Amino acid sequence: MKLWNGHKKQPATTVPFDNDVAVVAEELTKKFGKFVAVDHVSFKVKRGEIFGFLGPNGAGKSTTIRMLCGLYSPTEGSARVGGFDIASQTDEIKSRIGYMSQKFSLYEDLTVEQNINFYGGIYGLEGARLEERKRWAIEMAGLTGKESTLAHALSGGWRQRLALGCSILHEPPILFLDEPTGGVDPVSRRKFWDLIYDLSHRGVTIFVTTHYMDEAEHCNTLGLIYSGKLIALGSPTELKHSLDRYSVFEVQCSNPVDAMELLRDQAWAAETSIFGSAFHISTLNVSDAEKKIHGILTNEKIVVSRIEKIIPSLEDVFIQRIAEEDVRKNGARN
Amino acid sequence: MFGISFFAPVFQLIILGYAATFDVSKIPMAVCDFDHSSSSRSLIQKFTSTEYFIVEGYFEKTSEIDHQLDDGHASIALVIPRGFEKKLGSGHPAPLQLIADGTETSTAGIGLSYASIIVSNYAQNILLESLMKKGSVTTPARVSAEFRVWYNPELKSRNFMVPGVLGLLLMVMTMLLTSLAIVKEKELGTLEQLVVTPIKPYQLIIGKLAPFFLIGVIDVILVVFFASLIFSLPVKGGVLLLLLLSLIFLMTTLGLGLFISTISRTQQQAMMTAIFFFMLPMMFFSGFVFPIENMPTIIQYVSYVIPLRYYFVIVRGLFLKGVGLDILWPQALALFIFGSVILSMSVLRFQKKLE
Amino acid sequence: MKSHMVSLNILPIVRKEFRQIKRDKRILSILLFIPALMLLMFGYALNFDVKHTSMAVYDEDRSSTSREFVEQFFISEYFTKVQTLESKAEINNLLDAEQARVVLVIPSSFTKDIQRGRAASVQVIVDGANSNAASTVLGYINAIIQQYSVKVMTESFVRMGQQNITMPIDFEPRVWYNPELESAKFLVPGLIAFILMVTAVVSTAMAIVRERELGTMEQLMVSPIKPIELILGKTIPYTLISLFATVTVLFLGYILFDVSIKGSIFLLSLVTFIFFIGSLGMGLLISTMVETQQLAFMIAAIVSMLPTFILSGFVFPIRNMPIIIQGITYLLPARYFLVVLRAIILKGAGLSAFWDQALILAIYAFFMISISSLRMRKILR
Repeated sequence: MKLWNGHKKQPATTVPFDNDVAVVAEELTKKFGKFVAVDHVSFKVKRGEIFGFLGPNGAGKSTTIRMLCGLYSPTEGSARVGGFDIASQTDEIKSRIGYMSQKFSLYEDLTVEQNINFYGGIYGLEGARLEERKRWAIEMAGLTGKESTLAHALSGGWRQRLALGCSILHEPPILFLDEPTGGVDPVSRRKFWDLIYDLSHRGVTIFVTTHYMDEAEHCNTLGLIYSGKLIALGSPTELKHSLDRYSVFEVQCSNPVDAMELLRDQAWAAETSIFGSAFHISTLNVSDAEKKIHGILTNEKIVVSRIEKIIPSLEDVFIQRIAEEDVRKNGARN
Repeated sequence: MFGISFFAPVFQLIILGYAATFDVSKIPMAVCDFDHSSSSRSLIQKFTSTEYFIVEGYFEKTSEIDHQLDDGHASIALVIPRGFEKKLGSGHPAPLQLIADGTETSTAGIGLSYASIIVSNYAQNILLESLMKKGSVTTPARVSAEFRVWYNPELKSRNFMVPGVLGLLLMVMTMLLTSLAIVKEKELGTLEQLVVTPIKPYQLIIGKLAPFFLIGVIDVILVVFFASLIFSLPVKGGVLLLLLLSLIFLMTTLGLGLFISTISRTQQQAMMTAIFFFMLPMMFFSGFVFPIENMPTIIQYVSYVIPLRYYFVIVRGLFLKGVGLDILWPQALALFIFGSVILSMSVLRFQKKLE
Repeated sequence: MKSHMVSLNILPIVRKEFRQIKRDKRILSILLFIPALMLLMFGYALNFDVKHTSMAVYDEDRSSTSREFVEQFFISEYFTKVQTLESKAEINNLLDAEQARVVLVIPSSFTKDIQRGRAASVQVIVDGANSNAASTVLGYINAIIQQYSVKVMTESFVRMGQQNITMPIDFEPRVWYNPELESAKFLVPGLIAFILMVTAVVSTAMAIVRERELGTMEQLMVSPIKPIELILGKTIPYTLISLFATVTVLFLGYILFDVSIKGSIFLLSLVTFIFFIGSLGMGLLISTMVETQQLAFMIAAIVSMLPTFILSGFVFPIRNMPIIIQGITYLLPARYFLVVLRAIILKGAGLSAFWDQALILAIYAFFMISISSLRMRKILR
């Protein structure tokens, strides 16, 4: 399936990348009155990579993307997208990026084709080029034959792909996706990420925000955002190894809730969290942690069926980092 | 949004009550007196001594009169040519010119009418005087009229407008808002939520309509209160009777509101439909501003199916005439029949839509 | 040689708006058909001429003279006889039930008085509830009675031996601009102002707010579309539609009611354009202040429809309103526009007659556009 134009064609707009860096942010900050939504965030996104922003709702992901797209102006700090400054060169930026938000921003009362025509026109596509891109978008989204369907009659997955198609009709080198898989079934999500991968292989830089852990695994580089701060940055593997100070165990027992309660007070125990029917506990690297756990639990008549040391998942990393951040915040307050 | 829907009509009521007047007085008149005689002056004085005309300026050239009329500074111009007084006594008719700006038809019509009467009176008196002088002793016959204006002796427009606005207000609050509220639930999906519960359709409908019923009652009371307070317009026929008959009228408006909600998918559609396809035509053809008698016969027949028409008769009757049910029973009956028919049709349609 | 032309990319937005308008048939019909419908209604059915007023007669005299007198009223189309009453007691019920609006009572001494050269007095009872109709009707009745009185007087003079009595005054009333006093001519200019204002303010406000309500506004802001392109793209379709509606109204007015534009069409278009721009500005301003379409519609309607209908001089003459309200009307652009419209369409007047109104409209338009674009820029940033 052709995703980009078959022949090697330069994208219509050239981008002066500095040193192969597509997006760079330096101490980017956004305040709404007293509320700090984005707190001195700095990162670099390499050309062609998939960069993810992971964080809970309200952490500042959407605000950051909006600043990078020129929707908000930063209160402090700076950022460059495709080499252009987000505070002063928004016009140049806008014609060179694609944007897709959780809302899928399609016109419900227009057909698939009419939506594509509209967004194509907005980005200055016309004539043969528009036709070409239109056919590509329809095929990519799997909407062949559905061109005259009204947008509001499409189900989640189709609309998602249509919205994606509309956002890259003009073949932008940088693509911003703000929680693009919200409310979509897992199969469609999978298909969607296949498309993203393909785009990335063709050289498109993709900046995506999400709160799905499994999607975070797909990114080349991941930034963890919490309360406006970037609390971790690195590839998924790097992040998982960043917990090397700790060991993470998965414990299967008869009463996980009580067990967690018991272990929480131990000095060498860092974090506990429920994982399905078992629970995870991260401990400082002490010897015989397994034995200690086993002992405490059995003492209280809890039957332990399995204790296993595991490689921390991103979720473990996330929870740990958030806890550390909370401690830091409370410490600062005291 | 509720606040605006409430205050806006009340605000309109007040503005309309004060502003909507066709009372014609103080018509600006331009005068061009080429004769400068005592007769011409006394003629002019006949105009200025009434409250219908105000002399806006005296001019020396007819071209200036043209400007006055073009500008709209004067609505009527009186031109007394030279030799007016001489001709009066000569036995030949003395020419006199009156020009009216016809763009404001109501003003022009009434103004001309008054002017004709003034001039005619003046001419009659001149004739009588001259005949007296010639020695005839007996006075000739004439016909005069004694006028009595009932119900609204000062011919105040607001006495007519205020009761009318009550009808409008009820329509807006009960018909428009009812349809909007129901359609909003359709849009949000909460209506669906209600339908899957054990609630029976008729309970649902009563529940939906009851609040607006109440609002209608409150509106009537409010209008009566304000009308008597601000406009000194009490309900001569009794507030209770007004309430009772208003309730019957509410049957029609609520029924229409329900009907509109069954033919609209979105709130915007409901709003547009209610206003442009129901309220505006009802307003125009119910005899509120424009008398029904003037309309072509076909349209007069149409007005018979407009509930508002009957309600206006009732409201006018109760506010201004102090009549009772013995006079108003045909209107009450008509409203009752309409109300029942519309309500039952709408309820049936609504129930069908729910399935 | 390349010329530096400002190219605006408004076509996609214009096309989209048209498509969306087309899809919602109701809005389209309202914008297009209702004005024409209103014109028809106003022209044929709704007017202020008070004709066919229902009149009942109670004739105590019952002579040929009294009958002749009564006939004077029904010869014209101003009155319709609904009943001849047998007793005075019926009068109350008749008027109470609105079965007649006027009752004419002729005393038994009518003919006798006339024959004896005295003043014969009749009684006229008028239902004053609709005061406009009532005053007009009073005027008609007065005129008819006056006329008859003159006739009676002349005849009695003749009987007394005076020949050749001529009325000393030859009175020629002339009506300018609208000789037949057709209400349609009075209402058509107002109708045009009404259509333009409502379309401009309401549609514009709603169109822009709709974008925000749906969430597509964000997508547009991220694109290379400039604010000016968005505004133009959204307002042009409605401009075209209301222009079309206006032309239709003028055309129908011409065909059906003989309303032709006596003055300069160029001036008319110019002032209309200025007024329209001002109204657009108002619509834009409203769109920056509300979040939902419902609210946009309500505020726009209250601010444009109502004042234009009630206070601008469209239906009710301003001169007779209380002073405070007259003061308020000075704030309404529609008021000034109406003066200009009537001047050009009906009077054929030139710029000298309304330059001050035109100037005020221009100032208003400039003011509105400035404020709304400032606000829009702030919001879109």
